[in-house]
Amino acid sequence: MCDTEQQWIAEAKAGDKDAFAKLVEKYQKPVYSVCYRMLGTPTAAEDAAQEAFIRAYQAIDRYDISRSFATWVLSIASNYSIDQLRKKKVTILSMDNEKHAWLAPPDTGPSPEKAALEKEKLGQIQSLLTSLNEVDRAAVILQYWHDYSYEEIAETLDLSSSAVKSRLFRARQLMAEKWQGMQLPSAPPVNSTAKRIAHETSTI
Amino acid sequence: MKHQQYETWILMGTELNQEQHRDLQSHLKGCSACLSLYKAAQQINHLFNTSPVLEPSPGFSTRWVTNIEKDENRKNQLILGITLSVISAATLLLLSTVGLQIRSALAYFPQIMLEMVTLVANWIVFLNQLWDIVTPLVRVSIKLISPAWLYTIAVSLSGITGAWMISLFRSRTLQKELSA
Repeated sequence: MCDTEQQWIAEAKAGDKDAFAKLVEKYQKPVYSVCYRMLGTPTAAEDAAQEAFIRAYQAIDRYDISRSFATWVLSIASNYSIDQLRKKKVTILSMDNEKHAWLAPPDTGPSPEKAALEKEKLGQIQSLLTSLNEVDRAAVILQYWHDYSYEEIAETLDLSSSAVKSRLFRARQLMAEKWQGMQLPSAPPVNSTAKRIAHETSTI
Repeated sequence: MKHQQYETWILMGTELNQEQHRDLQSHLKGCSACLSLYKAAQQINHLFNTSPVLEPSPGFSTRWVTNIEKDENRKNQLILGITLSVISAATLLLLSTVGLQIRSALAYFPQIMLEMVTLVANWIVFLNQLWDIVTPLVRVSIKLISPAWLYTIAVSLSGITGAWMISLFRSRTLQKELSA
């Protein structure tokens, strides 16, 4: 953690909203990313990320400065998203479905072809994540996209390391089964991307 | 080695040593189920690793500042509402209690008024009697004491008062000098 960040945290602890806004600016992407992968829609992700930062600001007095701020705030975002999924049972919608084009993520690429491919990939990913329960999903997201170790995931999700290992094993098994099902000819919405990825990885 | 061991290796996601890797590769050549699982795991890893970066729309932190201010205002209004409700409830309770007391006292109102009038009348009678005693005493005293004594007493009292005032003045001057 750099000195500037520590200064922002100290100022935020003293009640300075602008200092915390700088922390929000710095960590908005990972927090939004976790919320998006957990909840599946940009709107829900925006709301959850905003709420996670509000909760973090309100609990900043309890933040232990020896811990990583990123880990702390991601743990708030993950747990909030898990609660949201449990309470509201948010429906994860497929991104590659034309009917739900309004749910598309922010424009990430210059060419429409690339954007369409990325949208398709997002749909694939969300489809795989949907097959998991809330806690398994959070564990997968933290491991794949945030490079968390088993211990860090255990600390974030309040589980034991062995529980995290078994949850990740089960999650990979479920996702592999789902992926195999998606590659079958009777699964047209995701077939083209699945085939493309199968082709890309055929040399692995 | 059992078939399940290969599934574990594929799904655990941990690095295999060279011997394990060779063992797995040779097993995959003869086991279509494990090969299919292996391919699926590899393809999922590839999909996740090449997934697009997710970013919120621009102005996220500005929206956060607006949201936190709204949240704080909402909380302040809630606290104010609760405080006002408690004060209103307490006032209502107090007024109700006083009202009930007055209502119960109304039955004894004539008696209370009579007692108050009696008390005031007794005081007037007492003061009148005191006046009747003190007035002749003062008149007689003035007549008995000679004018010379009266002057002497007046001068003495003036002297004592003067000395007291001078001592007060001097003590204040002394305090000022000490503090300076």
